[in-house]
Amino acid sequence: MSLKNVFTDWSRYRKGIEEGGFHDYEHMWGMAVDLNKCIGCNACAVACYAENNLAVVGEEKFYKGQAMHWMRIERYWDEPDLGEDRVKEFNHHGANFIPMMCQNCNAATCEPVCPVAATYHTPDGLNAQVYNRCIGSRYCSNNCPYRLRFFNFYSYYESSWPEPLHMQLNPDLTVRDKGVMEKCTFCVQRIRAAKDKARREDRKVRDGEFLPACAQTCPTGAITFGDLLTLHTPGGGVGETKVAQMWRDHQVELGKTRQTKQNPELRGYRVFEGLNTDPCVMYLERVREV
Amino acid sequence: MSNIQQLPSRQVSNRGMEGGRRSLCRFLMPLSFPWVLLWVLALGGLVLMPGAVLAEVPNAVPPEGTYEGEHVEQPIEFPHDTHADVNKINCMYCHTYARRSPVAGIPPTSKCMGCHSIIATDKPRIKQLTEYWDKRQPPPWKKVHDVPDFVHFTHEKHLKRFVFDNEGMDVENVAEVCAFCHGEVKKMTVANKVKPLTMGFCRRCHEANDGPFDCWKCHK
Repeated sequence: MSLKNVFTDWSRYRKGIEEGGFHDYEHMWGMAVDLNKCIGCNACAVACYAENNLAVVGEEKFYKGQAMHWMRIERYWDEPDLGEDRVKEFNHHGANFIPMMCQNCNAATCEPVCPVAATYHTPDGLNAQVYNRCIGSRYCSNNCPYRLRFFNFYSYYESSWPEPLHMQLNPDLTVRDKGVMEKCTFCVQRIRAAKDKARREDRKVRDGEFLPACAQTCPTGAITFGDLLTLHTPGGGVGETKVAQMWRDHQVELGKTRQTKQNPELRGYRVFEGLNTDPCVMYLERVREV
Repeated sequence: MSNIQQLPSRQVSNRGMEGGRRSLCRFLMPLSFPWVLLWVLALGGLVLMPGAVLAEVPNAVPPEGTYEGEHVEQPIEFPHDTHADVNKINCMYCHTYARRSPVAGIPPTSKCMGCHSIIATDKPRIKQLTEYWDKRQPPPWKKVHDVPDFVHFTHEKHLKRFVFDNEGMDVENVAEVCAFCHGEVKKMTVANKVKPLTMGFCRRCHEANDGPFDCWKCHK
């Protein structure tokens, strides 16, 4: 069952790469995160908690690694590329931040390992998780190189939203119970609302019509969200989205394990793309004053 | 996703119906002359019986399956039959949000009073309603057709597909589309759940009518 899922997803992906475009996709949602702008304030993570009914697990369970933050800010104090002697110097500059959310890989490593096909690729280019089908084998989380899938080890409904806090829950989303894997959805409820509205008005979804909670909240505007589908159109498609324009400007291409840039000064990169996961999130490297 | 489509539909629980079909086959086994005549007569009678079969909705295959829902006690025994069948009031006159939002909605009491401050004011049920109206409280109606919280269902899209974007479909006949999932409410007093509204029920209809098959269309 899941094997068939793998083949379907994989052949669709190969076809997309070989024929220069994911023609059977409706959209391909993607992101560009400018680390120069990121100040590590964690507002995106908080917004994600509020939007997506994420349970607060508490300190003890956090240390056990059971936190369920779909969006998290990772911190680094070293820049090993600079060599041993410079690392110390950089420590004085403070931490490096990188916001990590599900990378919605086109060739996702979590998808093939699910024994019940609870995770699959949607025609929107999203990596979907179906909670009702999930049996909690946790294979997907173990196979995710980014560690961005989170498991409900306990039922948090009562502890996390005691009355009257349950009134704050977002009704557009399921409240997950124990034994279920969950992950960032690029705020699929907002995607759906925008698509429904566009369909009602008989038009296409406009660029920037809606944003995921993290991008909406970011005070510095570090996160750009949009449709990447035009990225395959050679020479730039007409009406290219802002995010696709950013990818093109930084010469980051989909379907590559290593980017070949004409200008090595450009800052765009994707996390772990050497693993051939083909993520849909591009990061722009942070430039530091030395 | 394609493997989901190929799941045999009998995995979805609706055993009552299929059991019935199988036993029907067993009855049909003796195909001698008098039996055939009997069955033709019986089936013909069913088809011709007025009201037993719904009028056709163009470009649509109605979903199969039945369910015996428990009677839900409502604060006022609202007679759907008087409104929708006898007086031919369109479903969407009262359930007005159906055409533009996920929920069909229950009309505000002011809508009831719009007519019933004049019509049938002496009837006991209307007196009950007027009491609520005077107290400035809505009658505490109970929900009959409820899908679980992890299911996202939109009335608006279904009405768009089956009524407003459906060529040859008259909005006057919208009750027949409503009856796909709600049964013939216009023959009932208070609504009763007569369709299973399970995932199998939805899926079979989506299969027959070319609906979307993405899991994330309904679940998330």
